[in-house]
Amino acid sequence: MQAGKPPRAKFLNYPLGFGTGKPFDTENQLAVLTAAVAGFDSMLKPGVESLDFSWDSGWEMIAERDKNKDGADQRSPRDTTPRYQTERDKELAEGN
Amino acid sequence: MHPPVSYIQQTKALYDSLGYEPYKWFAADSEPAFTKLKQPLSECKLGLVSTAGTYVAGQVAYYYKDDTSVRAIPSNTPVEDIRFSHVTENYLVDARQDPRCTVPLEALQTLQKKGVIGSLANNFFSCMGGIYSQRRVVDELIPALEKGIADEEIDVLLMVPL
Repeated sequence: MQAGKPPRAKFLNYPLGFGTGKPFDTENQLAVLTAAVAGFDSMLKPGVESLDFSWDSGWEMIAERDKNKDGADQRSPRDTTPRYQTERDKELAEGN
Repeated sequence: MHPPVSYIQQTKALYDSLGYEPYKWFAADSEPAFTKLKQPLSECKLGLVSTAGTYVAGQVAYYYKDDTSVRAIPSNTPVEDIRFSHVTENYLVDARQDPRCTVPLEALQTLQKKGVIGSLANNFFSCMGGIYSQRRVVDELIPALEKGIADEEIDVLLMVPL
């Protein structure tokens, strides 16, 4: 994040994929966003500030999910076919 | 507290093990254009950019080979209509169950109703952040985002990267 030199940045020490809070925890999500957008008013010079949240069980959850994937290539195929989340999405978008 | 994970080092190690050329991560060569707010956030119109490959049900999804297109996401989109297509979809397993942990539509709507934020743009924007060509990001993606954002006439922009 520092290498990109953003004008104002808030760092949330949650696993990647949870940039705006814990899933199904709307109280935490609102607290994270409240703290994040406060930077618009409070940050008076460029920089990266850490948000005061931690979520150790989140890291355990990720470790458990990925425990048998060490060294595996988890990237999806890189081609020009749209990758819909659901088949219904494809039907809605492409009229099939 | 769990120490921050260096995802960049993890990715480098993975790519090395797979025999790929080293990825050249972006590094800014100039200081950021910093501008103080002209009015407090409570009087500002806020826009949002998500790089998580976010789309709305009914829109065309992203493809995974350097897709530089953008999607306009109406800021009042119901959370249940939010979808994701991103080359690193392994990081979106939970977001596909609860998009609010990556795209804060409801939290921003709540903050607007509470008066913390003055107003929200009619449209937020998204892109597929896993583009390997920095040239295409600069020449194609950023101009498309800039045009959409400019049309919304916002005061502040919140970017939520994946």
